[in-house]
Amino acid sequence: MPKRTLDPLPSAAFQILLALVGEDLHGYAIMRQVAEQTGNRIRLGPGTLYSSIRSLLENGLIEELDSQEDTGSGERRRYYRLSSTGRKLARAEAQRLAEVLRVARAKKILRGRYV
Amino acid sequence: MSEKLYAWLLRLYPSRFREDYGEEALRLFRDRARDERGFFPRLRLWLDLFFDLAISIPHEYLHAPQVAPLVPRRLHGFPALFVLENASPRPGALAIGGLLSLVALTSCWASLSSIRGRETPSASQFAGVPDGYKSGHSESRPAAPSAAASDASRASTQPGAFDPAQRKRIVDSAIANLKEHYVDRDAAQKMADALAAHEKRGDYDAIADPAAFAALMTQQMREVAPDRHLTFDYFQEPLPPQPSAQTAAVSPQYREAMKQQNCTFEKVELLPLNIGYFKLNSFPDPEVCRVAAMAAMTYINHADAVIFDLRDNRGGSPEMVQLIGAYRFDHPEYWYNPRENTTEQSWTRSPVPGSELADKPVFVLTSTRTSSGAEQFSYDLKMLKRATLIGETTAGAAHSGVFHRLDDHFGMGIPEVKAINPYSTNDWAETGVKPDIKLSATNALDAALKLARASREEIAAARGSYHLLLKPSSCEEAIN
Repeated sequence: MPKRTLDPLPSAAFQILLALVGEDLHGYAIMRQVAEQTGNRIRLGPGTLYSSIRSLLENGLIEELDSQEDTGSGERRRYYRLSSTGRKLARAEAQRLAEVLRVARAKKILRGRYV
Repeated sequence: MSEKLYAWLLRLYPSRFREDYGEEALRLFRDRARDERGFFPRLRLWLDLFFDLAISIPHEYLHAPQVAPLVPRRLHGFPALFVLENASPRPGALAIGGLLSLVALTSCWASLSSIRGRETPSASQFAGVPDGYKSGHSESRPAAPSAAASDASRASTQPGAFDPAQRKRIVDSAIANLKEHYVDRDAAQKMADALAAHEKRGDYDAIADPAAFAALMTQQMREVAPDRHLTFDYFQEPLPPQPSAQTAAVSPQYREAMKQQNCTFEKVELLPLNIGYFKLNSFPDPEVCRVAAMAAMTYINHADAVIFDLRDNRGGSPEMVQLIGAYRFDHPEYWYNPRENTTEQSWTRSPVPGSELADKPVFVLTSTRTSSGAEQFSYDLKMLKRATLIGETTAGAAHSGVFHRLDDHFGMGIPEVKAINPYSTNDWAETGVKPDIKLSATNALDAALKLARASREEIAAARGSYHLLLKPSSCEEAIN
């Protein structure tokens, strides 16, 4: 049975790492944060979200905190925090994408005001 | 309601995922459902969820972490199985699984049975007569309508349960059929008297084996009338019911079977050096297979030599035997058929328009399995010196008598006509057709190919000579 791998880093996993930069979040908050940072383009379903979270936990890229009470609903939820390894990997991935972007710009294949 | 539905869908995930994140996933659903109200947001939520299920369930099963490496797990009381789940199946799941397996197995069995029922190895099975007999008859006649015959028909003779009362009924039935159907009325009366006398004297009392009884009956009939086409047969498997008068026509099952089996024409091809090869495993009814037969013959029409492979041919329709045989002649030729009176139908429809096969060397491959109609084809072509037979002596099944069913296990072949055999007093009944070149059936094709090649050279040398049929002596030289 193939072992799950994060190399290359799947898009969903990278978005989760980015969502956790700066603050610890529970599952639903991660989902909303990812939706927000991708302009609602990626809405992680529960299966994909928790499957990715488990991979990230197994690889030590995020950590699970002790259950905390959600400030909004008052329910106890599992929170996740970016680990230093996760931060490094997210940075490396961002740099890789930046390099891709640089090449794309040089090749002038990007158009419009987003360039 | 929505939450319950999603909770149910979550059960599709592996148990380990459900244990770890089932509650969280359900909570996330609840949060989204709370925040995304209205028709379109709710529609989007469900589309997201279905998309998510479609992607993540296979992923989870493929990548789910294993507590232990994947090894066969022995469940209590069940065989070792490879399982994707770590948790043992619930008793309910096992029960449903068992039920589904039972349904699947039953369906398989039912399908196989229906396929077996449709298998049609011999044309005779469609006419309700034993294997081979159909090829010897244009139809099967009901047993004599005498009281004795109908009594015997009602009695079911089981193998091993052959009692004197049943035997008496069978003998009476045989006598009634002989008197009614045998071509020579005087001989029929003499045979009937002889059988009745044997029965009265108790000559059959000591015979417990029905097959031995059948053989003795055949022998005793032939002592009076030396006719090899007259047979008394025992069948261990119960005979099919007596066909009604309507079954003489081609049945839809036969039509379908011939369609599925390409009319039993296994191979029609042109081999190197322009040698035509036609392997036919029966002579099917022309009503269904005339076009297929003509197409096959047309395909090999320009061959320099032709090989008919009858090694697996168990006979079939006499009309088809004659139809294919007709290609060998450039004029109408008398075509001997031991079961038909000589009429104008006994001449071949030769020449076949457009056929170029009449003067080509022809080789017929035979084996001990070659029987009935296939023997007629071989015999007639051999007698008319229109083919060289290579292989083994054929089975010797003339099946010239019309079959009469006496009861579930006994039947008789009774000749009802006297055909003119212009070649010999005996045909192939019981002796088989002897090949011109005796070889084992497995070597027959190689030998025929060698001879066919040799005949081509002979043709080239003779430059259009018409004497192309090889004599056995020259054939043997060519092989050696």
